[in-house]
Amino acid sequence: MSEQLKQEIEAEVGANKILVYGKGTKDAPRCGFTLETIQFFNNFGYPFEVVDVLENMPKREALSQMTDWPTLPKVFIDGTFYGDTDVLGPMAEKGELQTILKNAFGSEAPKTTINLH
Amino acid sequence: MIATDAIVAEVTVFDRTGTMDHYNIGVTSAAFAGKTLIQQHQMVYRALKAAHSDGRIHAIELTTTVAE
Repeated sequence: MSEQLKQEIEAEVGANKILVYGKGTKDAPRCGFTLETIQFFNNFGYPFEVVDVLENMPKREALSQMTDWPTLPKVFIDGTFYGDTDVLGPMAEKGELQTILKNAFGSEAPKTTINLH
Repeated sequence: MIATDAIVAEVTVFDRTGTMDHYNIGVTSAAFAGKTLIQQHQMVYRALKAAHSDGRIHAIELTTTVAE
């Protein structure tokens, strides 16, 4: 794994509180699991980014090595790797994910909240 | 494939698409005790690493359970 790729990934993970590495973009996902993950986070209402690595095999390989996780999508929240919706779904059911998101975003309210002030 | 990592586990596999490369896999193991869900999944993925690398498996929907 090249040091440059590793630094690129670390910079992206550091710059986005919720970051999804997937196949395709947010507007045009090219994989059912990536779409599912986008819908999953749309429901939470917090801002998130999707990085398309479908065609970037060296970066996909670097990501897999860094996370011990072979498949896409890969989700990072606040710099920590959380796998995919197979992990995040059960965490959301237990309320654990909500706590993690609240800690990550602080007082920043999810955009689905209607603010009357 | 999963048993090669020496984790004693009960495994259920369902071929989701009939193409033998998209699976629903359920793994129940005492080795998961005390591990977070992400760690449990990483243990299974480590065991499946070869099959992922050579393309035998494309996609997995994984469920892990701690054995009683």
